Amino acid sequence: MTIGLTHYLVLATAVFLTGLSGVLVRRNSLIVLMSIELMLCAGNIVFAAFSRWLGDASGHVFVLMSFAVAAAEAAIGLAILVEIHRLRRSVNLDDLKTLTE
Amino acid sequence: MPAVADASLTAQFGALLPYLVVAGGGVLLLLADALSRASRRDHLYLLTVAVLLGALAAQLFGPAPERTALLRGMLGGEAYTQYFNLLFLGIALLTATFATSVFERAARYRTDFYPLLVFATLGMMILAAATDLLTLFLGLETMSLAVYVLVGGQRGSLRASEAGLKYLLLGAFASAFLLFGMGLVYGWAGGTGYADIADGLRGAGGNLLLLRAGLGLMLVAFAFKIAIVPFHMWTPDVYDGAASFVTGYMATGVKAAAFAALLRFCQLALPELGGFWWPLLAVLAVVTMIVANLVALAQDGIKRMLAWSSVAHAGYLMLGVLALLATGRQGLAATVGPASGGAVLFYLVAYSLMNLGAFGVITLLGPDRGEEADRISGYAGLARRQPLVAASLAVCLLSLAGIPPTAGFMAKFYVFGAVVKAGLVPLAIWGVVASLISVYYYLRVIVVMYMQPAGESIHDGRSWETAFATGLLALLILFLGVWPGGLQRLAEVTFRTLAG
Repeated sequence: MTIGLTHYLVLATAVFLTGLSGVLVRRNSLIVLMSIELMLCAGNIVFAAFSRWLGDASGHVFVLMSFAVAAAEAAIGLAILVEIHRLRRSVNLDDLKTLTE
Repeated sequence: MPAVADASLTAQFGALLPYLVVAGGGVLLLLADALSRASRRDHLYLLTVAVLLGALAAQLFGPAPERTALLRGMLGGEAYTQYFNLLFLGIALLTATFATSVFERAARYRTDFYPLLVFATLGMMILAAATDLLTLFLGLETMSLAVYVLVGGQRGSLRASEAGLKYLLLGAFASAFLLFGMGLVYGWAGGTGYADIADGLRGAGGNLLLLRAGLGLMLVAFAFKIAIVPFHMWTPDVYDGAASFVTGYMATGVKAAAFAALLRFCQLALPELGGFWWPLLAVLAVVTMIVANLVALAQDGIKRMLAWSSVAHAGYLMLGVLALLATGRQGLAATVGPASGGAVLFYLVAYSLMNLGAFGVITLLGPDRGEEADRISGYAGLARRQPLVAASLAVCLLSLAGIPPTAGFMAKFYVFGAVVKAGLVPLAIWGVVASLISVYYYLRVIVVMYMQPAGESIHDGRSWETAFATGLLALLILFLGVWPGGLQRLAEVTFRTLAG
């Protein structure tokens, strides 16, 4: 059996759904951030797979760009998390109720 | 392999200059911020104003906008781009002005505000001009990443950090949907350009499942950015927790940029196939208008109220987009299409003016009063203390409610008119009902300002720049309410340049 486009798409969907369930279920904001990175990663797999399948390089370029974006997003997320942890000693999403009170 | 020089790049320089000025200015501001002493940073404001004015001038006096693609089809250089670039630069100028009056009084806000503002504006300009999925993604992220920090970047404020984290998590969540959806669309179309998608649709019978799935996921991301129900949950908290001038910037700039990108995507990539999004969007738009207006009735805080109001306005704007999509389906595209697109463009300008004015006044009165500042009851007696500021706020709120003779009334008139012309009378009726509900909560603030005696919590924030700017915005709103024809024609002509 050769590994084809379908396998990559199934893998990407599985990774995306794993990340999605992580975002919806976990309450630790660090884990949520990691789950979002998984979802972004799934998008990259789709692009890379199609890029190879189509023989078109623009998908690979897209993946490189989205790496940079994901890294920047993680950096900003961690910076804000550090600030929140300093002020509240917790990164649990259920503790973040200052705005809704 | 030696790269072949793109001969047309020199010719594109003039059209790209506004982007280069803003990007270079942002880097310059970062450097200036790092090199200057913490105590003396007022010159950063002047530098920001210089950068933004320079970009405005480059956009206004640059080469006449043509329907040529820039950077090999990455950005569109037509009048549509120019229209939105001028809007974004104007919004950024006003936001910088509001912010500087706050910085004079409260130093905790001052964390790299100006460079981030400039980079966010660059992201908006790219987003509105994008004609390729890649530039759409990068523009959206450039804007969003900068705005996450603008929201969360008040040192020592738990409210702001919390708002920033919520916005970042949900925004990044939406970006992941966008990226995955784009991947599927790319695989279906075989290229990332909007033109590739349009070509694919023209040639295709075949299997549209991949495209449908991709477009559905992309729609989720768009819905998050423009905050329509059910993807609006972040809006009240984030608008409430961010500094008022940042909220004003988000409510106007971010929303206008997302709508500009959505309109362009619908027009260029999906000329005949609004049908994918149409039924879902129609339901979402109606639910958005009704729910947001009903929840806004119950708000005590003025920023939360305006947050819900901005969700409701996203619903009205969506009606305009729906009219555009519907005309594509019914073959009315040549006649009604530009009218509905133009109505959305007019609405975005009017909406930006009135929201900036309202948030300008909130900024002016806000920062010293702490968290209680946002209570609507805190505005009691404002009309006697500061009649001009109160009058400006009253004009902005009347305009948001859509009462003549204001820009907000004309904007709603054009959008609902386009919706009726497109044959969607029930949608227009829902829109009118929703805006009738909204009159109550806007008028409540005006009643409090004019009819109730001043309480103890009143604070007289004074800043001549902000007061002047909000007064000017109020005059502009009235001007557009009385003589809307000029801008309306401009908006329609501008939208025509987009029609593929």
